[in-house]
Amino acid sequence: MTIIESPVQVAQQQTRELPPPEKREIVFDVSALTVSYGENPALKNVSLDVYKNFVTAFIGPSGCGKSTFIRCFNRMNDLIPSAVVEGTILYRGNDLYGPDVDAVEVRRRIGMVFQKPNPFPKSIYDNVAFGPRVLGMTDDLDGRVERALHQAALWDEVKDRLKDGALGLSGGQQQRLCIARCLAVEPDVLLMDEPASALDPISTTRIEDLMHDLKREYTIVIVTHNMQQAARIADMTAFFSVQVEDGRRSGVLVEYDATPTIFTKPADKRTEDYVTGRFG
Amino acid sequence: MSVASADVPIQGGRRRGVWRGRIFVGLLLLSMAVGFIALGTLFFDVLSRGLAYVDPVLLTNPPSSDPDIAGARPAILATLYLGILLILFTVPIGVGTAIYLEEYADRNRWYNRLLELNIQNLAAVPSIVYGILGLAFLVRGLGLGRVLLAGALILTLLVLPTVIIAAREAIRAVPGSIREGAYALGATQWQVISRQVLPNAIPGIATGSILALARAIGETAPLILIGALTFISFNPTVMGPFTALPVQIYNWTKLPDPKFKALAAAAIIVLLIMVLLLNAAAIWLRNRYQKRW
Amino acid sequence: MRISLQEELDQLEASLQEEGTLVLRALRGCLNALERHDAELADEVIAFDDEVDETYVAIEEGIQSLLARQTPVAIDLRNVLAVLHINLHLERMADYCVTVAKLTKLVHDTPPDETLAEALEDMGTRAEEMIQAALDSFANRDVESAESLVDMDELIDAANRRVVHQILSISADPDLREWGLRMLLVSRCLERIGDHAVDIGEQTAFLVSGQFREFTDASH
Repeated sequence: MTIIESPVQVAQQQTRELPPPEKREIVFDVSALTVSYGENPALKNVSLDVYKNFVTAFIGPSGCGKSTFIRCFNRMNDLIPSAVVEGTILYRGNDLYGPDVDAVEVRRRIGMVFQKPNPFPKSIYDNVAFGPRVLGMTDDLDGRVERALHQAALWDEVKDRLKDGALGLSGGQQQRLCIARCLAVEPDVLLMDEPASALDPISTTRIEDLMHDLKREYTIVIVTHNMQQAARIADMTAFFSVQVEDGRRSGVLVEYDATPTIFTKPADKRTEDYVTGRFG
Repeated sequence: MSVASADVPIQGGRRRGVWRGRIFVGLLLLSMAVGFIALGTLFFDVLSRGLAYVDPVLLTNPPSSDPDIAGARPAILATLYLGILLILFTVPIGVGTAIYLEEYADRNRWYNRLLELNIQNLAAVPSIVYGILGLAFLVRGLGLGRVLLAGALILTLLVLPTVIIAAREAIRAVPGSIREGAYALGATQWQVISRQVLPNAIPGIATGSILALARAIGETAPLILIGALTFISFNPTVMGPFTALPVQIYNWTKLPDPKFKALAAAAIIVLLIMVLLLNAAAIWLRNRYQKRW
Repeated sequence: MRISLQEELDQLEASLQEEGTLVLRALRGCLNALERHDAELADEVIAFDDEVDETYVAIEEGIQSLLARQTPVAIDLRNVLAVLHINLHLERMADYCVTVAKLTKLVHDTPPDETLAEALEDMGTRAEEMIQAALDSFANRDVESAESLVDMDELIDAANRRVVHQILSISADPDLREWGLRMLLVSRCLERIGDHAVDIGEQTAFLVSGQFREFTDASH
C-alpha cells in the first residue's frame, strides 16, 4: 500500500499560502521610528518589516498613531510643517528620508488611497489620467486609463461614460476610482488609510475582494479601525496602542504577527483585550 | 420630568416663545423694508428725472455747454478703458499674491504676517487717500502726469486688497483632500496649484474681480484728485487726459441749468446699468460654477 | 464576493474529502490484512493513521483560524460546523481501522472460520460503501442520499447480529474461541464505522436544512 501525498501539502499548493519567514522579501524596513508634531510624540520607537505581496494591516484604538505611521511611508508627513520624523525607514534598502531622495518619485512608487474618497472634480478619464500626465507618462494614455480601471474592477461600470464627471459616481465607485488613479502610475506599494470606513457594507466587501486580487501584483498596507476587516483580509497585522508617559499620550507598537495568530492566540494581553473587544 | 406632565394636552395652548419669535421676524422685515424703501426712492427719483434724456445723443455726443446736444461719450469710453486696464492689472497681481500667501508662505514668519495685516488694513482705507497717494507718487513722483494710466493704477491699488481677499477665499475653498490626493500621486507643488487649485478657484476669483470692478467704476474722489478733467470733447487715450463717468456726473450736477441735472440723472442711469450688468455677470458666474464638494 | 472566505471554505472541504479518501484506504487496508492474515500490512495500516491525524489537526486549526478571522454566518457557519463534526467522525473511523488492524495482528496465525470471515468482509464492504456515500452526499449537499445511509446501516446492523450468532456457535471450539472474541470486537468496530457514516449524513442534512436532527433514535 502506498502512502499518498499528505492532503495538508496538497492544500498548501492549492491556495496562496504565505511564504515562510526566510523566503519573504522585505519592502519596508522600519527601525526605531518616532514621529512628533512639535513637542508631542505621536508615535514612539516603532520597528517592523513590511513584506512584498502581503496585505499588512495596522489596527488599534484612535490616537494610537497608525495614520501618522502609514503617512510616513510615502512622505505625506512632509506636508505638515510641524511634523518631525526620527529613526529610519528603508524602502527596498534605500533610506526613504535620505538627503537626495525625490519625494515625487517616492509618491509615484508608493501610492495612497484616503478614507474619504477624493475624486477630482473632473471627468472619470481625467481623474485616472491625472497621475500619468503630471509625471510625464503620456504614451498610450487611453491604454493606461483602461488598464487601471480594469484593475480597480471599475471598467465595466464606467466604460461608456468616461467623460462624465467623477462626482456623479456612488461612494463605492468613487473609492475604486481613487484606487484606479493610484494604479495608473504603476506603483509598487499601495497605502490605504481606512479605505472602506466611509462606505456601505457591499462596497466594503468589493474593496476587500479587490485587495485580495491586487496583492498578487502589489504590496498593500492598510490602516483600519475595523479589526474584523483586518482579520478578513490581512496577512500580517500590527496592533498599536496608546501609552501615557509624563502626561503625554503617544502611540506604540504592541504586537506584530501573522493575522491568524493575532486573532487566535495573541502573545500580549493588550492585544487580546483589544481584539476580544474588552478594551477599556 | 414628572409623570404629571404627561397629562398636559398637546394641542392648543400658547408658549412664551411664540410672540418673541414673531416680534423678531417683524423687526427683521422692518429693517429690510428700510433698505428697500431707501433704495427704491433713489431709483425712482433718478429714473423720473433722467429717463427722458437716455438716448443715443447721450451716448455718442461729447459734452457741450448746450444741454440739448451734450453727451457723455468720452466719459463712458474712459470708464470702459479704466475697467479693462483695471482687470489687466489687478487680476495677475491679486491672484499671484493670493497664491503666495495661501500656498507658499510660512505663516510663522513675521514678514508674511505683516503682509497679511497690511492687506486687511488697506481694504478699509478711504478712496480719497488713494487719490492723494496717486497724485503724489504717480502723477508727480513718477511724472506720469494726469493721464488715464495713472487713474487705472490708482484704482488698481484701491481694489487690489479686495481682489486678494476674494482670491484667497476662493483658493482656500478648494478642499485639502483634493490637494492631498494630487500630492499623493506624485505632483509637485506647482502642478497641484496649476492643475487642481487654480482651475477650481477661478469662478471664485472671477466673481471677486468683477465685483471689485463694479465698485471701482463708481469711484469719483481719487479720479478727481488726480485731475480727471472736467471738459474733454475728444476720445480719451491711455496716456492722455481723461474724464470718467462719475466725474462727468458730478460736474453736471454742479451746473445751474436744470437740464444738466436731468442729464446727470441720465448719466447715472447709464452708470447704474453698467454696474448692474457687472453684478449680474458675477452672480451668473457664481451660480454656474457653484461647486458641490 | 468574499473571495478569501470562499477560498478557505473550499480548501477546508477539499481537505475533508482528502481525509475521507485516506480513511477509505485505511479501511480497505485493514480489511485486506484481516482477510489475508497479513501482520505486515496491519502494521502499515497502523502507521498510516499518523497521516489521518495530521490532516485532522490541520483541519481543526483551519477551522479555528477561519472562525476567528472571517466570522461566517448562516450557511457559511453551518458549513464550518458541519466540517468540524465530520472531521471528528472521520478521525474516529480511522481509529477503528487501527483497532481492527491491531486485532488482526493478535490472531493472524489462527486459521479462520470461513463463514465468519466472509460475513466480516461483507460488513467491511458495506462500511466502505457507506463512507463513500456519506462523503458524496456531503459534497453534493444531497439530503436524500444522506438519508439512505440509514437503510444501509440497517444492513450492517443485521450483518452484525448474524456475526454474533455465528461467533456464539463456534465458541464451542477452544481453538477458535479467542479468535471469535477478537472478531466480535472487529464486528463491533465495523458497525461503529457505519454509525459514524450515518452521523456524517446527519451533518449534510443540518447544513442544508439548518436544523440538526438524528436520523434514527439511538435507543433502538
